[in-house]
Amino acid sequence: MVEREPGGVDELSLQALALARTLAQGASIEALAVTPPSDTVSQGVAATLGEHGVSTLHVAEHAVFGSYAPTAVAQAAVELAERLQPAAIVGAGTERGNEVLAHIAARLDLPLAANCIAAASGDPARVTRLRWGGSLLEEADVHGAPTLLTVAPHLVTAERAPAGEAAVEHFAPTLSEADQLVRVTDRAEDDTAGGVSLADAKVVVSSGRGAGSPEGFGIIEELADLLGGAVGCSRAVTMAGWRPHTDQVGQTGTKIAPDIYIACGISGATQHMAGCKGAKTILAVNTDPQAPILASADYAVIGDLHEVVPAISAELRKARQT
Amino acid sequence: MSTALSALALAAVAAVALALFSRRALLLVRLVRMGAPLQRFDDLPKRARNEAVVVLAQSKLLRKLVPGLMHAFIFWGFVVLMPTIVLAAIYVVDREPGLPAKSPLAWLERQGWFALLVDLFCVLVLIGIATAFWIRKVQRPKRFRGSHLGEADLILGLITGIVSTLLVWHGSQIALGFNEWPADWSPVSNTLSGLLGDGQATEVLERAFVWGHVLIILSFLVYLPYSKHLHIATAGPNVFFGRTRAPGQLEPLRFEGTDDELRFGAGTVEDMTWKGILDTMSCTECGRCQDVCPAYATGKKLSPKLLIMDLRDHVFAEGPKVLADASFDPSPLVPNAVTDEVVWDCVTCGACVQECPVAIEHVDHIVDLRRHLVMVESRFPAESEPMLRDIERSSNPWGKPQGERAAWADGLGVRILEPGDEPPAVLYWVGCAASFDERARQSAESTVKLLLAAGLDVGILGPRESCTGDPARRMGNEYVFQSFAEQNVATLNESGVTKIVASCPHCFNTLANEYPDFGGRYEVVHHTELLAELVRDGRLAPAASGDSITYHDSCYLARHNDVVSAPRELVAAVGQPVEMERSGKRTFCCGAGGAHMWMEERGSAINEERVREAAETGAATLAVACPFCTIMLDDGVRQTGRDLRVVDVSTLLVEALERE
Repeated sequence: MVEREPGGVDELSLQALALARTLAQGASIEALAVTPPSDTVSQGVAATLGEHGVSTLHVAEHAVFGSYAPTAVAQAAVELAERLQPAAIVGAGTERGNEVLAHIAARLDLPLAANCIAAASGDPARVTRLRWGGSLLEEADVHGAPTLLTVAPHLVTAERAPAGEAAVEHFAPTLSEADQLVRVTDRAEDDTAGGVSLADAKVVVSSGRGAGSPEGFGIIEELADLLGGAVGCSRAVTMAGWRPHTDQVGQTGTKIAPDIYIACGISGATQHMAGCKGAKTILAVNTDPQAPILASADYAVIGDLHEVVPAISAELRKARQT
Repeated sequence: MSTALSALALAAVAAVALALFSRRALLLVRLVRMGAPLQRFDDLPKRARNEAVVVLAQSKLLRKLVPGLMHAFIFWGFVVLMPTIVLAAIYVVDREPGLPAKSPLAWLERQGWFALLVDLFCVLVLIGIATAFWIRKVQRPKRFRGSHLGEADLILGLITGIVSTLLVWHGSQIALGFNEWPADWSPVSNTLSGLLGDGQATEVLERAFVWGHVLIILSFLVYLPYSKHLHIATAGPNVFFGRTRAPGQLEPLRFEGTDDELRFGAGTVEDMTWKGILDTMSCTECGRCQDVCPAYATGKKLSPKLLIMDLRDHVFAEGPKVLADASFDPSPLVPNAVTDEVVWDCVTCGACVQECPVAIEHVDHIVDLRRHLVMVESRFPAESEPMLRDIERSSNPWGKPQGERAAWADGLGVRILEPGDEPPAVLYWVGCAASFDERARQSAESTVKLLLAAGLDVGILGPRESCTGDPARRMGNEYVFQSFAEQNVATLNESGVTKIVASCPHCFNTLANEYPDFGGRYEVVHHTELLAELVRDGRLAPAASGDSITYHDSCYLARHNDVVSAPRELVAAVGQPVEMERSGKRTFCCGAGGAHMWMEERGSAINEERVREAAETGAATLAVACPFCTIMLDDGVRQTGRDLRVVDVSTLLVEALERE
């Protein structure tokens, strides 16, 4: 299953091809790409695929492929698989790849191993795959033929294996109306997203009840602005109605992973720390030297945030002026 | 009217009334039988005892003295007056039938004590009715909010009619000298007879009132199965078939079997258990549940009373259609009968279930609704999702590294059991909160220090201990719970554990009450029980200070497991106890139960309400025996700015031992 991008083949598909080659052990590798009849698959794509070990590129042509249509792609793959009888079907572990492979698995009534990083052919095939967002590696046997799997992004290196340009064969898959029901019909931009989102911010400055009042967040906002970061808060602040729940950092709020997290007047309740454990560096500002957050903080200032935070902002401004 | 004509008239009226009653009663029976299976025919001695205590002795109603006595008078009155209904039906036909002398009814009728009882209870019922009207019209307690008030007035009116017609009829019988009435034993009827005299008018009155008596009873019979007063027929069976399991022990779901056998909670009326359906028919809208509900008290959408009433409306709206038409597709209970908010507001504290005089099982129904939402529809408060994922992924609800589970125990000298080690005399089950939370850890350290100081052979499982699955189970994720139950039971059994001490009441409840369903049978005690025993035996000798301490009962300890006195013994041994108004088994939740530790709270906060109550005692220390209560109440103290120290009883005990 090949996904294309403007000007060639998606890098993740090439990584998937690398894993497919270890599975194929010399047997031929054929690829499937889809396109609307109005478009063409460039020669460059066939050339790139050839360089990565593909012997034949099958191009499914259908009007529905003008936009993303996962069930239609799956049906085209099933049709091709019936013809070629492959030992395995491999796709990239992208959102789309996993979705299409899941549909293929459902249609063939076979198991799918998603997000694999290694695979060995056989009956059953043996795969190593990511679980729990990558925190766990699982060795699993995959029964049934063909073996269905997707390849975890960026964990397998795409390598060239020159085999000449891939031959291109076009075919028109037979798609029922039901196969075409799921497709992208419209796109809308998210116009609510303004500024830096808390979840993606590189810098997060937050405060708890120590801010004293909703107005007390003024100095927090000022520092966040200076650093190009986002403002966060603790659960107590949301409970008190000072800030919206969208600003809450914690296990029941937003989980953040900034480069630096500046927590001012936050004691560090377990529920809060569960939301910021992804932070690379934590700077705590707290009057209480016994506050639990100090156990997790890389740096700490023992002091009143109402004095410390404006002082940091002032220093930042001074440094920028010079 | 001749005897034959009277008999005919009675037969006609009774036939119509009975037909109407039976038609409705049959539907009710079919609705209950439609419910999903549930084993409630076991434990018969315990069921008989519940029936005697809760129904006959009215134990739960009498917890509120005035309304309790009011109800008891009316209830006992009706039990006593049952035979008079049969007698009235006979006397409607013939005012002097001359009952066969040897029949039991004739015998009973001649007994002075029975006449006295009848008179006495007629008066008591009338006093009860007057009290009921006073409660409803003058006192107007909040618990009636949302109940059908007009319906209640009508029912009280009908009962007044039944009893007053009986008295006047008896009075006129005595006045006219019918039926060898033991008049000397009937002070009220006799007084009435004196007022009536034996004239022509009394003869007419006698007929009118006996007919009136019978007709009101028959109309009551017809109205009954359509009204909330149905409880006089359903409450008895509902109490008998009530829960006999431990209050904190949920019914396990089966995950293996054919499609017909499997049930993933309650999605539609078809998934409700038969006891659940009977529950809805037993509710008389008294609101005792609503009165004690912490969610309701803090302005949440949930009222346990309205939950049951809404389910009842839904059962009556859709149940008959399901019975009539196999192809009828019933609508989802959530949000059609109750909203999502209502389902998630519950903290599973069990106060409603404990108060309910007719053994309704609110919490089980809430959990059943959650099970369907979580396991079938994947629909639950978004903020709780990380908790469920962290339990599955990291074996604890905060996603902490499992390898750090025993970090708190560094340097304390407690044995961390490796596979194959000699089993300890007592295994300390630490729980996730006390293992990982900075504020709750102190209780684990204190507990271990105390057990070691008393010379006990105690061990912990360290990284081999996992979440018991309690938050997942109370969220409705039964599947995750059961996989953790099986895993933990396997670990405990392999380690040869026989006795467990737990400091978390949620772990304690799960280990003691729920793991036996999964093959884990151990002697489980709470740390306060074990520590109280050590103090009693003199193995720990604390010195009490003069500080006043108020103790907050954890729901899962006091209400669900009846551990009330042990923590109080400890508090008394270390300081000067002072009680909050809501204490012991009638405690008020801290707000964390039912997985609410990992949900955002809407409206005013339960923990702040509880902290206010604690502060009103004037105590400087708020003692707790649960890590969840520790975290919630400590947050509550910060939020309200009170000057209270929230601390586990075990830590107070450590301090009292160091005190000389």
